[in-house]
Amino acid sequence: MTLDVPARPRWQLPRIDPGERWVGGVAAAVAREIGVQPLVVRAAFAILALAGGWGLLFYGLAWITLAVAQPDRLAPYRPEPKAASPIHRHIAVGMIVVGLLSVFSQIGFAFFPKIVVPAGFILTGILIAWTRSQDESGVAATARTVIGVLVGLGGLIAFVLVSDNFVDSLVVVLVAVVIAAGVGLVAFPSLARIGRELDMERQDRVRADERARVAAHLHDSVLQTLALIQRHADDPTRTAQLARQQERELRHWLYGAPAARATRLGPALEAMAAEVDAAHGVPVTVIAVGDTSDVDQTRVEPLVAAAREAAVNAAKHSGAPRVDVFAERHPDRIEVFVRDTGQGFDPDAVPADRRGLAESIRGRMQRAGGSATVHSAPGAGTEVELVLPLLVDTVEPSQEVSS
Amino acid sequence: MIRVVLVDDHALVRAGVRAELEGHVDLVGEAGDVGGAIDVIVATKPDVVVCDVHLPGGNAPAVIRGVVDRGVTTRFLALSVSDAAEDVIEVIRTGARGYVTKTINGAELLDAVRRINDGDAVFSPRLAGFVLDAFSADLGASGDPELDQLTAREQEVMRLLARGYAYKEIARRLSISTKTVETHASAVLRKLQLSSRNELARWAADRRLL
Repeated sequence: MTLDVPARPRWQLPRIDPGERWVGGVAAAVAREIGVQPLVVRAAFAILALAGGWGLLFYGLAWITLAVAQPDRLAPYRPEPKAASPIHRHIAVGMIVVGLLSVFSQIGFAFFPKIVVPAGFILTGILIAWTRSQDESGVAATARTVIGVLVGLGGLIAFVLVSDNFVDSLVVVLVAVVIAAGVGLVAFPSLARIGRELDMERQDRVRADERARVAAHLHDSVLQTLALIQRHADDPTRTAQLARQQERELRHWLYGAPAARATRLGPALEAMAAEVDAAHGVPVTVIAVGDTSDVDQTRVEPLVAAAREAAVNAAKHSGAPRVDVFAERHPDRIEVFVRDTGQGFDPDAVPADRRGLAESIRGRMQRAGGSATVHSAPGAGTEVELVLPLLVDTVEPSQEVSS
Repeated sequence: MIRVVLVDDHALVRAGVRAELEGHVDLVGEAGDVGGAIDVIVATKPDVVVCDVHLPGGNAPAVIRGVVDRGVTTRFLALSVSDAAEDVIEVIRTGARGYVTKTINGAELLDAVRRINDGDAVFSPRLAGFVLDAFSADLGASGDPELDQLTAREQEVMRLLARGYAYKEIARRLSISTKTVETHASAVLRKLQLSSRNELARWAADRRLL
């Protein structure tokens, strides 16, 4: 069962990955979004920071926007590179940096100590008050808010105190506010969409829970009904066969089958049983005891093939309503019994086709280093006994047919 | 006639089982959940309770415990579509005297009910397989060795049961009486219920993952 994955929107806010970050993770996130090395973006921020501190201001604004916008439970996200080639992307970054530098030169580089330091305080204050950890108690949250507000206020006061030309400073602050508003406007649709995505993820979870509930329900209802069909159908053979088949499929769907299972004897016999049942309309039950996970699969395969021949033979010729397969792993060997309660036969006086089949089973087992014995008598059913020694040197293959 | 109570949350299944047992046993009550089952069993005191393993409001073990708590003695046969070892082992360890799957036919089910009524144990091939598997797992040095291991004869009986042999056929094969086969089966059931082996529970839980 796979969950439907909602289509990924084409454009997203850069995601901050805590594993990548040096400071706030903004440079790494932006770099990943553009498709360049984080070092390039870090250098760009550094150059802009040296230009009167503007880089720091931008970095701070970006960090606030991104940190607030992305709860960490969103799935990891690998964006497509934005431009055709790495060279184009690097040129784009360079042009942005140069363009910004020229803009800043118009406004002035001289604000670094007077503007950026107080602004840094204000931003830090906002961040302290704003960011929030999941498992924080109420007291800690209040304390953090108070500290954040104090740091922010301190920055504001420092800002007013150090400004020798207050009007000029106000202009700069105004510009900063306008930029921030611009960023906000650009970011808002993304924020709204991220909110919607969270909603969708929540709905996915609800749907997954719902599916689990349905699975539980199916187990109780459909399987029960199938069991009934098996017992009460008017056309016993065909209906019961369909019911069994459906039952198996349903079980498979409900519980799945880990890939590793296929190499073990029990599941391999189960699969064989299902095929024989489907082909010949006789239920084959498999009881497997012990762990065969340490046995080489190439040794198990002939055993399963021989068991299949025996089961098919029982289903076709014995007239028995079902076939029982029992497999047991002993420390030194694997035994498989395929039994029916059908008409049976005299192993010493069988028609040629039957003997041919017995020979074929025996030959198969002998080639695998094991043995096969057919126990049968007219009216007493048939049991084929397959033995596969796991220490090949110590056991001689047997050829005996007994009754 | 054997007095039987039928517990299954699916009316269809109850109707089916009723149709098969009717005329052969005295069906004195039915219930579809744990609480109702306990009330019916306490009120009617049947000889045998045929009980689905999975029930609303708890499972078959909850019914068995509830009935025991109310001081009523009866015998349980677990009937289930579930092949999960954990469920099967739990219901037996809580006190059920047998376990059969719902694909059992009418005659076999009737035979199982009679056997339970006689105080015998009823092993489906699958349950016998589970028992062999559980007891063949490496023995920790825990508890009572008498209870923690199967005798060679008991193992033989379980193997033949797992191979699909009926008690009568087993008796013939091993040249013993059917009664002796029943005794072995009951002894295995007792070990299954009383063994203190932690491995039994762990084995059953692991078995789900196999």
